[in-house]
Amino acid sequence: MLHPSRRQVLYGLGSTLGTVAFSSMVQAEENANPLAQKQPMHPAKAKNVIMLFMEGGPGQMDTFDPKPELTKRHKQESKLTGGLETGFKFFVGSPFSFRKVGDNGIEMCDQWQHLADPFVANELCNYRGCQAESLNHPEALFHMNTGSRLGGDPSLGAWANYGLGTVNQNLPGYVVMTELAMPQGGSTNWSNGFLPPGYQGTRLRPQGSPILDLSPPSHKDHLHQRAALDELAWLNQQHMQSIGEQDKKLMARMENYELAFRMQSEIPSVIDLASESESTIDMYGMNAPETQVFGRQCLMARRLVENGVRFVQIFSGGWDSHDYLERGHSARIKSVDKPLAGLLRDLKQRGLLDDTLVIWTGEFGRTPDNNKRGGVYSLGRGHNNQAMTMLLAGGGVRPGVVGATDEFGATAVEKVHPIRDLHVTLLHLLGLNDNKLTYFHGGRFKQLSQFGGEVIHELIS
Amino acid sequence: MKNQLSSKFKSHFAIQRLILKSLLFMAFLVTEICDTEAQQAKSEVDQDQLPKASEIGDRLFTLKVMPIFKEKCVGCHGGNQQDIKGEFSILSRQSVLRGGESGDPAIVIGHPDDSYMISAIKWEGSEMPPKENDRLTPLQISTIEQWVRIGAPWPSDARQKQIQEENASIIENEDGRLVATSGGQSDQWTNRRYQREDLWAFLPLRTQSELNPKGIPRNQMIDHLITEELNQQEFSSAPEATAAELIRRATYDLTGLPPTYEEVSQFQTQHAKNSKKAWSELIERLLSSPRYGEHWGRHWLDVTRYSDTAGMSNDYERSNLWRYRDYVIRSFNSDKPYNEFVREQLAGDELADLSLQAREDLTREELEVSQVKGQYNQQESEWIVATGFLRLGPWDNAMIANDEARQIYLDDLVNITGQTFLSQTLRCVKCHDHKFDPIPTRDYYRIYSAFGTTQMAERNVPFLESENRQRFHEEQTHVEKMLAYARTEKDKIINVQETAAKEWYQEHQLPYKTEDDRRNDPDEMKPPRHVGLNYVQQGQLKVREQDEWIWNRRLERYQPMAQSVYNADSTILAWNGARMLRINRKRQKGTTTTGNILIGGALTAVGEAVMPGVLSAVAVPSSNDPAAPYTISDSINGRRLALANWIVDENNPLTTRSIVNRVWKYHFGSGIAANPNNFGGKGAKPTHPQLLDYLANDFMEQGWSIKSLHRLIMMSSTYKQSTRHPDLDSLQESDPNNLYLARFSRRRLIAEELRDSILQSTGELVHEIGGLPIMPEINMEVALQPRMIQFSIAPAYQPSPTPEQRNRRSVYAYQVRGQADPFSELFNQPNPNESCESRETAAVTPQAFALLNSETMNDRAIAIAERILLESQKESGPEKSDLQNQIRRAFRYILKREPSPRERQRLSEYALKMIPYHQTHAAQPTVYPTKITRSLVEEFTGRPFEYEEILPVFEDYRADTKADQVSAESKALADVCLLLFNTNEFLYVE
Repeated sequence: MLHPSRRQVLYGLGSTLGTVAFSSMVQAEENANPLAQKQPMHPAKAKNVIMLFMEGGPGQMDTFDPKPELTKRHKQESKLTGGLETGFKFFVGSPFSFRKVGDNGIEMCDQWQHLADPFVANELCNYRGCQAESLNHPEALFHMNTGSRLGGDPSLGAWANYGLGTVNQNLPGYVVMTELAMPQGGSTNWSNGFLPPGYQGTRLRPQGSPILDLSPPSHKDHLHQRAALDELAWLNQQHMQSIGEQDKKLMARMENYELAFRMQSEIPSVIDLASESESTIDMYGMNAPETQVFGRQCLMARRLVENGVRFVQIFSGGWDSHDYLERGHSARIKSVDKPLAGLLRDLKQRGLLDDTLVIWTGEFGRTPDNNKRGGVYSLGRGHNNQAMTMLLAGGGVRPGVVGATDEFGATAVEKVHPIRDLHVTLLHLLGLNDNKLTYFHGGRFKQLSQFGGEVIHELIS
Repeated sequence: MKNQLSSKFKSHFAIQRLILKSLLFMAFLVTEICDTEAQQAKSEVDQDQLPKASEIGDRLFTLKVMPIFKEKCVGCHGGNQQDIKGEFSILSRQSVLRGGESGDPAIVIGHPDDSYMISAIKWEGSEMPPKENDRLTPLQISTIEQWVRIGAPWPSDARQKQIQEENASIIENEDGRLVATSGGQSDQWTNRRYQREDLWAFLPLRTQSELNPKGIPRNQMIDHLITEELNQQEFSSAPEATAAELIRRATYDLTGLPPTYEEVSQFQTQHAKNSKKAWSELIERLLSSPRYGEHWGRHWLDVTRYSDTAGMSNDYERSNLWRYRDYVIRSFNSDKPYNEFVREQLAGDELADLSLQAREDLTREELEVSQVKGQYNQQESEWIVATGFLRLGPWDNAMIANDEARQIYLDDLVNITGQTFLSQTLRCVKCHDHKFDPIPTRDYYRIYSAFGTTQMAERNVPFLESENRQRFHEEQTHVEKMLAYARTEKDKIINVQETAAKEWYQEHQLPYKTEDDRRNDPDEMKPPRHVGLNYVQQGQLKVREQDEWIWNRRLERYQPMAQSVYNADSTILAWNGARMLRINRKRQKGTTTTGNILIGGALTAVGEAVMPGVLSAVAVPSSNDPAAPYTISDSINGRRLALANWIVDENNPLTTRSIVNRVWKYHFGSGIAANPNNFGGKGAKPTHPQLLDYLANDFMEQGWSIKSLHRLIMMSSTYKQSTRHPDLDSLQESDPNNLYLARFSRRRLIAEELRDSILQSTGELVHEIGGLPIMPEINMEVALQPRMIQFSIAPAYQPSPTPEQRNRRSVYAYQVRGQADPFSELFNQPNPNESCESRETAAVTPQAFALLNSETMNDRAIAIAERILLESQKESGPEKSDLQNQIRRAFRYILKREPSPRERQRLSEYALKMIPYHQTHAAQPTVYPTKITRSLVEEFTGRPFEYEEILPVFEDYRADTKADQVSAESKALADVCLLLFNTNEFLYVE
């Protein structure tokens, strides 16, 4: 005997009454706390996610996927057709040399120093088979973050919170950190899309107030705030009595003021790094100018996850090396190397890595060739939606190299999967089934992968 | 109503009965047709004539089971043998009986409960099909169970074909209706059936006499139809709202602003004397207020997605798009007939050209010259401005191939036209025939083709007398300042570079060449790129070059330019063509203008050719050609006008239902059909379909007048009901979302209403219609925060220099796709990339932060406190400077009512406590920077570099009064005012 949920019954009936009642149920469900903890759909390997987003698109052949063929053909004409550059194109050999690190076949260019330590390198999975679709930044960013190139759909973090809720109700369930500059496409990258607003990513700002207007003006202290909230609660209760109805929407607003008051003290304590030891601060590279910003964000990510935040995302830009590849990528790698290694080490030492999935990825990869810029051989790379590289660690991921690109790194050729399969896999690790994690919107059940995808089993231990 | 769900789906036995019944009915129809052909005599069918069991089984399989298999299973379990999942094929009875890799048969004949397939489609154990979206409905599952139970009959292909053909000759049966369309990509789609209730929007409007056989007067019809439904649900209507509630509701609904305290009291008095007269006078006053168009224009801009920038990579400014915004506001204020409003937005440029050509008797060539020169009169200019509608979607061609960029634009036009005017979602039809609605992909490409010659352009269009051109001079001076700075800074760096270049040439004993001249020289014959520049200078150069371009372009804000379109067979875009889009016929090559179906929406999969055209399922022809009734001429000009004329054809039921439903939605919080952008089978069905039709007819009878519709709605008792209801508990349980309107729905203010109401309360709101966008003060951290655009960081946001400019209504605020005002965004101002049919109002915690802690809210509280103190000092006698009296004023200004004695007492005590607090807690002064240092990670270097940007607006800035500039008494009173702004009472309309 079939026991369909209310939603399924109504969907199936599709009658006038069904639809009317259906929309009322959706609204009724939305009145409940959207971030309350929920059970995963199947046993989860990961509970939390830290996603390190390298905006601009790191070159696979300059980071983790060596291509000696490019070095051989350096500056020779390229007839490859990928990417957007047209006219005369020439191959660009990586300015970096490579070596194998750790026990699982991971390869890294010489710019990675700290990440090469086997203690962390042995945790890494390097996936080389993923393919993007878009060739331009905002669309590709939207695609990697929301599953749709158009922007406006819910982001990964929003889906994760929709599926699982969050542990600490005094903190947002989905926290985003960026550099001072917002990535292209801005907050659309961490949008709740058509999911209820509570699932939107909350941006912890790198300077000034971590959350806009988190604190009152400086002349109003905690006691002042408390007194004000007490008066406000009284006024709202008077109003509630006068309308003769315990209106849920109004009650939710009243509760929000109390939650805001609690967050005002909770958030500063989570982001206050004073309690961290000097060696931890150093492990994340916070004492050196080039790693200070990203190091601080990585350390914050660990503290947030520790405090029950479900999904943390850090955007780090500057990877779009169309020119001056050596300088550009070298500096970017140095800025993330120590913090990333520090984060993995710290998570591992604290036993958090087992259920925290760490992902390091860009929105696409780079081409093996380039065209002339300003009339000269510019040593850089274009955008490539056929091949890219990414790292995954912890949270049930199997260490090692998965997939491969061709001899130039132009196209993924083994274990090739579109972004949607990566998304399905990430949800799977969180104990969520993309085909069931759906939200009825615009006439159909929508899902992160848009139309379904496959789990990439090779990535899972 | 409570029991409808459970009774509707009590058990699967009910469904089985339904299936059997339907099969009998089907057989009856077939029999009837045969009989008719034979003899035309019998009308009764007796038991003997019922078809045999085997025939029932064959029909069940052919018409019910096989279509499910085809739709849901064959993709993975049929077709290509190599590609079959789980070694299971569903293409023949034998293979189904054999089963898949498990070795067990998929079905056990006669025993659905033991059949693997049945448990799989029920998602018990194995889950098939695996996606939620593809999952079988309970009815489909029961159908297959029934088929297994009766022996899994599987007639021959020939027999199946015969049954299908017989079936296709019956327009309507219990499986639904056939709908004639231009035809799908498969016969199965073309011949599929729709439930009548899913087709409601496509069916012609019922006439007024059908809807109102008893001849009930027009002004009672809304109440009549609402009450009729309520009676059926056994609810009673709520009593009428109080006079204070009514004026607040009406004023917000029509103008987006609260009434003043004085207006409330005056209305209460008049209402007590003659409630009907007072009410109708109030509605007339509000409808004739210019504030009306500002508010209803805002609704329309939600649907059409207004923004002053283009979004995506560069977020280019669409300078002068405000002219479209003002056109919309003017149109609402003047109650422009909606059919004209539609035609102008879709084809205003074509109307203008027809008019110009006739007026001046021009040849096509001469007309094209006049187009470029912009030789249009006022009416024609207005029409062209209206086509700003066709320029509202996010669009940029940076790093996108030209044909793809073009497709993105046209797809956007098809989609927004469908949603806005027809309440149809057409985006899904780009790739396939519509899954639920009778819209074949052919119709999508017909409309796509109707836009096929539409090219984007900023056009030369004279300003109108009615357009506000205030502050052009001051703002232009500001832009020139920014431009001069960018140029000077760029030149400094270029100087360094060229000095080094000269040295290089000297060292190499070559004659110096400028950067342009040496561009194509071989590498060894010219200095390296960026010679003499360190990485900081290299990064800065790029920023300055970008800034120079941006500010130079913004000078065009003061030119008579309009964001519009023109017709041409094709156009060629440069890689950065989105920067500047002009009428340019020279660069066009004559490519084909015929449209094609793109299979799966892929530009590379060109399918059959299509003419421009319209939605065939509406059954309203767009052409006189009986052979191709739903097409449009494929001449280069006139396609959009033909499309628009079809949209506003009086027989097109989608258009009028769409607009009256929207108007109803903004009055009642929910549409009669709850998804104003989607009248398709998966959109919400109308709760009061007769009312919707009645209003649509009436709307046309009243000359497509939206103001008449407001009057009709607002004069009804339904609209005047209270939010309170005597039987609230049972009402909430049975109709939690108030779909049957037994009371009025309480609603939260939308973001613009909230900001405007606060400014109105403080006395700071400045009314001025239209013109250049204003820059309100937004959170300074956000205003100055760097924002990536292609190659650079966008210039910082600088607010307007004076409060008079900043404090105008929110509809006039500059809207940047890549930088929303965080306050408005928090209160659910929609993302302008998608059409917004209905604002969210969910309460999220950061709203509390913004309303209590933000600088703008604290400034507003100080502003109203200062206003009250000033007025209080002017009073004489005991009232003078009396705190309780001040509290009273605060209530009047903010909540538009008197405080209760208890409220006055308690808040006075609170303020008194706060005075000593503020005496010992000094506020910090606010400093507005006149320049900022910004930092960007450069792709050339991978390292952050810094550069300075000027903020000249703060050199001569009239800031709001801040907390550090006022007395402790003022701050204490401001504390009270801030609380009142935070109350539910302030934020909600009863």
